[in-house]
Amino acid sequence: MDSLHAIGFYVSATISVGGGLALAFLPGRGSRGVALAAGGLGIAGLYLSLSAGFAGLVALVCYAGCALLLSAKHYRVIDTSEGPVWRQAGAVAAAALFAILAYAAWRGDFFHALYVSGDIGSASIGRLLFAHDALATEAVGALVLAALAGATAMWRGRGRGR
Amino acid sequence: MARAGSRSVSAGFVAVLFVAAALVATGAFVAAWKRDLTAALAGLPLIFGGAGVAFAGVSRFAATSAPPLFGQEVAALLPVVALALVALGVGIAGRGTPR
Repeated sequence: MDSLHAIGFYVSATISVGGGLALAFLPGRGSRGVALAAGGLGIAGLYLSLSAGFAGLVALVCYAGCALLLSAKHYRVIDTSEGPVWRQAGAVAAAALFAILAYAAWRGDFFHALYVSGDIGSASIGRLLFAHDALATEAVGALVLAALAGATAMWRGRGRGR
Repeated sequence: MARAGSRSVSAGFVAVLFVAAALVATGAFVAAWKRDLTAALAGLPLIFGGAGVAFAGVSRFAATSAPPLFGQEVAALLPVVALALVALGVGIAGRGTPR
């Protein structure tokens, strides 16, 4: 990886992890949406610096959709009754998860190889998605359709009941 | 041209896996830390994003002669799945008063 790609990688990593941490601590829906959009921008930048430009474009659109959904004003707030001890235990568990994954990455015995590809590669990814792995693409499409149809039905049903 | 004695910035596979691990752990932290369950859904895209970065990194640094695109394919599908799950979660939560 050359210096320009490496700098882009580290900047994108900082933006994505920083956006995620801001997402955890910022109050309010609008600020959470902005933080998630920043995290998505960082993740798209990571994909781009890893020569996966098409995945970066898809991520940019999908994370913008997630940010719009989660910053909407009309969804219901469901508060949990758990005390701060369980939340702190969850935070410690997340830190332990990071430690385990980072240790596995650090101690892993990886063969050092370099592959240089700078283009977006939408044609080859499209061939893979719609010809070689068409079943997986259809499964994801069915999941998206079911999720959107279910979400719409529940949203309308609960709205009518009020 | 680089000056004599200067070092170029580089990022390897271990750095990619570190960032992926940080994203997965940050998503898990968001999901555990948020008191509001609907807001905790925001951790899901981060977890999926971390997995996607790991897949894209494997695809980028794979030791094969031909460009392996499978990792990029999974990395492109994971954000779509994350968006679908967030939409489903927000739909299940339903309408309510803004806060």
